[in-house]
Amino acid sequence: MKFEGPIPGENFLTDTKNYPWHRPPDLVDYDETVSYMLSKIDEPEQIELVFAMLGIDAKVTTVVSTLLLQAISKGKFTIDMAMLIAGPLARYIEIQAKNAGVKYDMGLENKDRIVLTPTLLKASLGILEQPEEESLEIMAMREEAGPMEPEQEQIMGLMSQPPEGAVAEDDEQAAMLGQTEEEVVQDSVQSEEEAA
Amino acid sequence: MQFNEAVKKSIKNFMAGNMPEALTEQKEFLMYGPDYFDELEAEILDEPTDSTAAREEEESDEV
Repeated sequence: MKFEGPIPGENFLTDTKNYPWHRPPDLVDYDETVSYMLSKIDEPEQIELVFAMLGIDAKVTTVVSTLLLQAISKGKFTIDMAMLIAGPLARYIEIQAKNAGVKYDMGLENKDRIVLTPTLLKASLGILEQPEEESLEIMAMREEAGPMEPEQEQIMGLMSQPPEGAVAEDDEQAAMLGQTEEEVVQDSVQSEEEAA
Repeated sequence: MQFNEAVKKSIKNFMAGNMPEALTEQKEFLMYGPDYFDELEAEILDEPTDSTAAREEEESDEV
């Protein structure tokens, strides 16, 4: 067991200077804190930074988080207060962005979320029913095009069985039997001699 | 829950016109509520927001 650890709240009582967020916050009132942050955003450098961030497609929620963390790290207010003033800050930034004509995205909607539709649900459960209108149209087009000829089986080798009805031509058959053109000519000459 | 998620949730609630109950109980008048920003928007952009437009319509009907 450790007995050397700090007791909860000890950081608020210690005299030694530690991190700013370990000390009591400067602002504890809601209105005061919002007012402080609005005036902070209105500073030229800060508003330029905000617009620059929005310009690089940063969402308003991200900008607000950044501003809040900056203030928390300086010990201006607590994290709880930051949660309370996040909404007003985002709204103010939205208004300023509208006024300046800067494109902005609030970042509140989850775009990566897959929208659950009845078709998707059916597909995921494997209970797809009757074909829909589109597939019916496709089927009608197929019927119009007529029956498709089945693809001929590919002959895989010399010894494989040829497809039905596939007969070699006469020349090829003669060549397979070893009857070359010379032999055929000789045969015809012999037959002529015999006839004579 | 991470900090960014909590901030997002807080913003979403404020945009929906909700304020933390404990905060409103603690203090009767809050200056920076959703209405304040609606009015500010109307003032800056010279166009009434949805909520203020609806309120003005109600007032005109009453008159």
